[in-house]
Amino acid sequence: MNIQLNYDEQFINELDEKLNQDGPFSSWDLFKMSYQSCLATVTTEFKGLTAPDRLPHVNFLDHQLECAQQVVEEMSGRAILADEVGLGKTIEAGLILKEYMIRGLVKKALILVPASLVNQWVKELREKFYIPAISHRKRPVWDQNNIVITSIDTAKRPQHSDIILEQEYDFVLIDEAHKLKNHKTKNYQFVRSLKKKYCLLLTATPVQNKLTDIFNLVSILKPGYLGNYDEFTTQFGRDRKKLFNDAHLKQLIQKVMVRNRRQDTGIEWTKRNVQTVWIEFSEKELEAYHQLNQITSDTSNFSSITFTRELCSSREACYLSLKKLIAENENIQNKDDYIEFLKTIEQLPHHAKAEKVVDLIKDKDEKFIIFTEYRASQLYLQWYLQQHGITSVPFRGGFKRGKKDWMRQLFQNNVQVLIATEAGGEGINLQFCNNMINYDLPWNPMRLEQRIGRIHRFGQEEDVNIFNFAIKNTMEEHVLNLLYEKIELFERVVGNLDAILADLKIDDVEEEIQSIFKESGSVGEAKIKLENLSSVISYAQQNYGEENWDGNRESS
Amino acid sequence: MAIENLHDFLTDYFTANQCEIIENQNGKLLIQLTDKMDELLMNRPFYWQYVKKLGYPGEPMKVTFITNPERTEEDGEWIHFGSPRIHQIFNTLTSQGKFTKLFEKVTGGQRTAMIPWLVVNVKISYNGKHKKDEVISIGLQLINGAMHTKMMDELTNIPFQNSISDFCYTLTPIIRLRSGFQRINNYLANYLETVDHSWARESWDHLEEEKILLERFYFESEDSEFENRFEHELKDLEARFKPHINIEVINGGLFYLSQLKSNRIII
Repeated sequence: MNIQLNYDEQFINELDEKLNQDGPFSSWDLFKMSYQSCLATVTTEFKGLTAPDRLPHVNFLDHQLECAQQVVEEMSGRAILADEVGLGKTIEAGLILKEYMIRGLVKKALILVPASLVNQWVKELREKFYIPAISHRKRPVWDQNNIVITSIDTAKRPQHSDIILEQEYDFVLIDEAHKLKNHKTKNYQFVRSLKKKYCLLLTATPVQNKLTDIFNLVSILKPGYLGNYDEFTTQFGRDRKKLFNDAHLKQLIQKVMVRNRRQDTGIEWTKRNVQTVWIEFSEKELEAYHQLNQITSDTSNFSSITFTRELCSSREACYLSLKKLIAENENIQNKDDYIEFLKTIEQLPHHAKAEKVVDLIKDKDEKFIIFTEYRASQLYLQWYLQQHGITSVPFRGGFKRGKKDWMRQLFQNNVQVLIATEAGGEGINLQFCNNMINYDLPWNPMRLEQRIGRIHRFGQEEDVNIFNFAIKNTMEEHVLNLLYEKIELFERVVGNLDAILADLKIDDVEEEIQSIFKESGSVGEAKIKLENLSSVISYAQQNYGEENWDGNRESS
Repeated sequence: MAIENLHDFLTDYFTANQCEIIENQNGKLLIQLTDKMDELLMNRPFYWQYVKKLGYPGEPMKVTFITNPERTEEDGEWIHFGSPRIHQIFNTLTSQGKFTKLFEKVTGGQRTAMIPWLVVNVKISYNGKHKKDEVISIGLQLINGAMHTKMMDELTNIPFQNSISDFCYTLTPIIRLRSGFQRINNYLANYLETVDHSWARESWDHLEEEKILLERFYFESEDSEFENRFEHELKDLEARFKPHINIEVINGGLFYLSQLKSNRIII
């Protein structure tokens, strides 16, 4: 077989010279150690990763290791890393770069990331990977052998770009690569003309709108791999779903793209046990519910649907809202009915759901998080639990950072229950708790997923128990049965739901459901409309379901 | 003969470089660097430049290295096989330990003839779709041409020094240095004939596959620009996938062994 063989021609000349000049020569110890250090740094296998052994302080997740291995072994170092948000694309990229550096294949690299992330990248590569990355600012470094991180805007400035485009990079990385989807932009042309051996493009959304997005990204990695622009659009069109439907295209893309979704990461996600807890209103409560329904259906106030929802949560929540309504509005229709109804509320016994909470928690040693939609219910629950000897702390998005941390700490160390209204986004980690009660269900499935995400995340070691409360014969039953159960929300990690909703042009599910209840003349009508909504969503889900990259690895 | 114990390796390294070991216990090492080692390792060129300019004596640093993974919380640098420091040290060694001329230490006061050996340690890199390395240590006896291919293993426990022991004398090589080196290269070429090269076959196949893909997309277009791009891409592919083998000398030199030891190796 024809294999080119390159000998070392320099060594013997130098040795000869040293012998003629009689030195200097290394000692036996240093000679031995030099040989040993070479043994310690060679990679004796074609396949597999050596980088993880060199990074004992980092725990890599399986899908990250597999991704790095796949890119190195099968994609020969040119790939789109398109994991969903939060699965660690940076880590994967770092692993790949490290592997190539260890194998002596990369010495000079250019890493282009958004300006705001330059320092974070430098830090991460240095601390996690011991890669001596530098940001460009300190001194002009383009023409040296090193790992430079900068923003694309800096790199393409005339005083830099001329030098950069002359360099022969062993490795080029572009973060947030979806910004390069338009091949007519300067950024795109700039990246396209970089000289590079290995190349990684990082994006969570490889196809944002049009199928040609992926064409443009692939053309950076392998120009011509998908033909030219016209051929591509003629053959595959512009419909982005083709990426997952067209077998030929899919096969082509799989050779250049790794996409892990949460559910196929192979991470040992602990199990998610989801239980619906059905609750019966007491007779008095049910009566009040129907009464309120009657009153609200007579008014056209958009928020009136809220009152019935609140009644399903706590007397207090409903009471306060009605009070406010009456106080703020002089001339509402059936004002007297509302005033009358306040009296009814005053007569109500403790809320059926609150009693259920106590039932569920009181004999357990475990910690629980309770989510409610309403602050009034939060206060009520805290008081009610206290009456039953259950300790709790409140948690609200509006708390200051310090108070949040304090509450979290109290919850971790001192009390059994954390009662939260909407968590307010900023990621607090509550993995030390594995029970969650959704005291009221939000009507937006994305919010439910965010709630669950507080405890069902990396680091959760126990199976997670989710209790969804719903009161029979109320709107809660309809929403739970007709919407959540049907779109199998609880079985899957939502993942692509936001994309589906965007496709369906549903900006706010909550509003959608509200108007369904509001605009329906009868319970039956509302049910039919809810059912229609969930059919549309689950149909879209099936189409999305075909985004299936599992075959990626099995083919290897 | 790989590094079995990183701690001992570090201790040896700093001892060999004349640094004082102040403390050495349970995976923790406190070292007083010399001026030379401070300059080599501590990355503070301005300090040394300044000190030299002013003619002051420099103050080399003391450093603490920790090799015991249980003690990484303590003050000091944690050294493991991936830490930048150990690779910095490895790098210094590639130049510090590259060329040598050594004599076996002989005691006893008898006249002893020393047999010359050319020792060459090589790293063979197999590059194709993937890459791997192989290290071979070759010794060539320069009188009778005998060759040994696990030379460092044989030498590792023999004491050597840079000057010849009393009452010893060297035999003049019959095989000259360069032709000896050529023999080693010939040996390597023969050796490489015998190893499994399925990796290269795989690389060729992969290259062909990629070429076919390229052709399929390019040759349907008659645009001249695409013709150019095809050529460019083809070159790119060959650069990445065409199999080749690099032979690089790690280190080497002349070793003079007593007749006794020399004979033992040949057997």
